[in-house]
Order: sequence, then C-alpha cells, then structure tokens
Amino acid sequence: MTTPKTVTLDALTLGMELEEFVYGPLSREDFVRYAEASGDDNPIHQDEEYARSQGSPTVFAMGMLNAGYLAHAVSDWFGGPQHLRRYKVRFTTRVWAGDELICSGRIDSIENGVVHVALEARRRGAGPDGLDLPEDEVALKGEAEIVLPE
Amino acid sequence: MAESEITFDLPVTRETVADFALAVGEDNRVFFDPEEARRQGFPDVVAPPTFTVTQIFCVPRDERERRLGANLDYGRVLHGEQEFVYNRLPVAGEVLTGTMRIAKDFTKEGKRGGSMRFVTYESVFTDADGAEVLRAYYTLIETSKDPGS
Repeated sequence: MTTPKTVTLDALTLGMELEEFVYGPLSREDFVRYAEASGDDNPIHQDEEYARSQGSPTVFAMGMLNAGYLAHAVSDWFGGPQHLRRYKVRFTTRVWAGDELICSGRIDSIENGVVHVALEARRRGAGPDGLDLPEDEVALKGEAEIVLPE
Repeated sequence: MAESEITFDLPVTRETVADFALAVGEDNRVFFDPEEARRQGFPDVVAPPTFTVTQIFCVPRDERERRLGANLDYGRVLHGEQEFVYNRLPVAGEVLTGTMRIAKDFTKEGKRGGSMRFVTYESVFTDADGAEVLRAYYTLIETSKDPGS
C-alpha cells in the first residue's frame, strides 16, 4: 500500500510528459475479478466459447478495466484521485490476456488553475493466435482535467 | 412505452470500494484504510474514479434496455466512449441516488457505406443532501447490419 506524494501546480510545466506506468500483463483472472467487482458480467470477457460465437478469437478485457487502470495512473501522477474534475476515454482497440497496458500522459494546458492532460494507454503483447496484431498499439485515448491544491 | 429516466440507489461500502480498487490494481491507501482517508480529510475511504460503473448491479443491461427503450442489438454494440465529470468522489458509508437517461442518440454515415449509431446514457449521482457528486456518460456504438465492403 502507498500514499502518493502531494503534487502542486508549480511542479507542472506545459508539454511535460508524465512518468509512464506499465500494468500487467493482464490475465483472464483479472477479467474475472473485474467482472465480480464491477458487475460487468458480459460473457464475451470470460467465456471462450461465447467469445468465439461472437466472432472474437478469444476473450478480451472490458474497456472499463483498461480505463480503470488509466485512471489509476492519473490518480498517482497527481497525488491522489480526489484532484480529478473530468476524465474521458475513447476505446480504439481491444486488449487481450497477456497484454501489458502502458499508460502515458502529457500536460496540454493549464488555464485558471485547471490542468488539462492528454492521456493514452497502449497495449503491448503478441495478441491472440489468428489475429495479426501489432505488438504495440494505442488501445485508449483520453483526457483529464485536474485541480491541484494551492 | 419507454420511460424517460430510471432512478436507483447506489450504496458505497468499504467492501465494494476495496474490491473495485483491487480489480483495477490500486494500492493507494485512501481506497482501503479509513484512518488514512480521515487523515486526508475524507469521512471514510474514497471510491476510485470509475467506481460508479457498478451501477450495472442496480440496473442490469436488460432492465435498462427494457425501461429506456434504446432498442439496441447488443450483438453489434461496442463501448465507444466513457466520461466522468466530478464535483467530488463518493465515500464509503453513503448511498448515492442515480438518475439515468438517454442523453444522445444519433446515426453517422460511414465513409464506406455502413452507418454507426451512437447512444449516450447519462447518469447523474447525487448525495443525501441532493447535491451532485458526479455524472457519467456511457456511449455505445451500434454498427450497421450491412457494414458495406
């Protein structure tokens, strides 16, 4: 268990790249744990046969599992989750068991004390057999607004 | 006849917060340790930023579909976008009131013939005093039956 260090506005500069966080590799057990904790019991994330019947070679991570990890990175970059004012993500590709999730962020603007951050999470891994996936591709793009203590 | 909105209660407990936090790999004490949360000025442990997705426990997909009547074919539906706007994070021990409605529903023609329908569900969460805590926008994309070629 940790407590992130307090971050103040004067520690941030425009265009600053935040420290990359790498989570995973994700496993099917992670998908099951997330299903139980979140209530997202769509079988496409847990049931191999069902996933295939829906045209997917195997199960894949819930989008919100990946978004939860990216929000985790944002919380840790800025000294805790309580500084978030807005968080938005767009899902661009699926994330598979065995993939690592690489979370990165850049300070885009600071206006009236609100820090605007551009976010990205990439999947890195071989991907399932039968799909000829790149080893490393963007799976989520997003943005956050942060208000820090004075 | 579809309803215009669904109202539900979302209880926030230490246990559901800890389970959710662990499921997204969190290790910040503020999600797990009431003493640490109080030291930081919160009444109890804080829920992670995406915690209110657990509203699906209160209003499962089939119920949402039946009552709000978006008439989506889930075999062709993807989760396209998600957004949260915060006044504060929920804390354990409170029961949020959620109000869900369809905020947007439109169809975009694709460049290669197929079309995509975007449906955005908005959920507004308020606390016991009636003050807004946060709101969530959940956007689904329904791809067309005949995606063109």
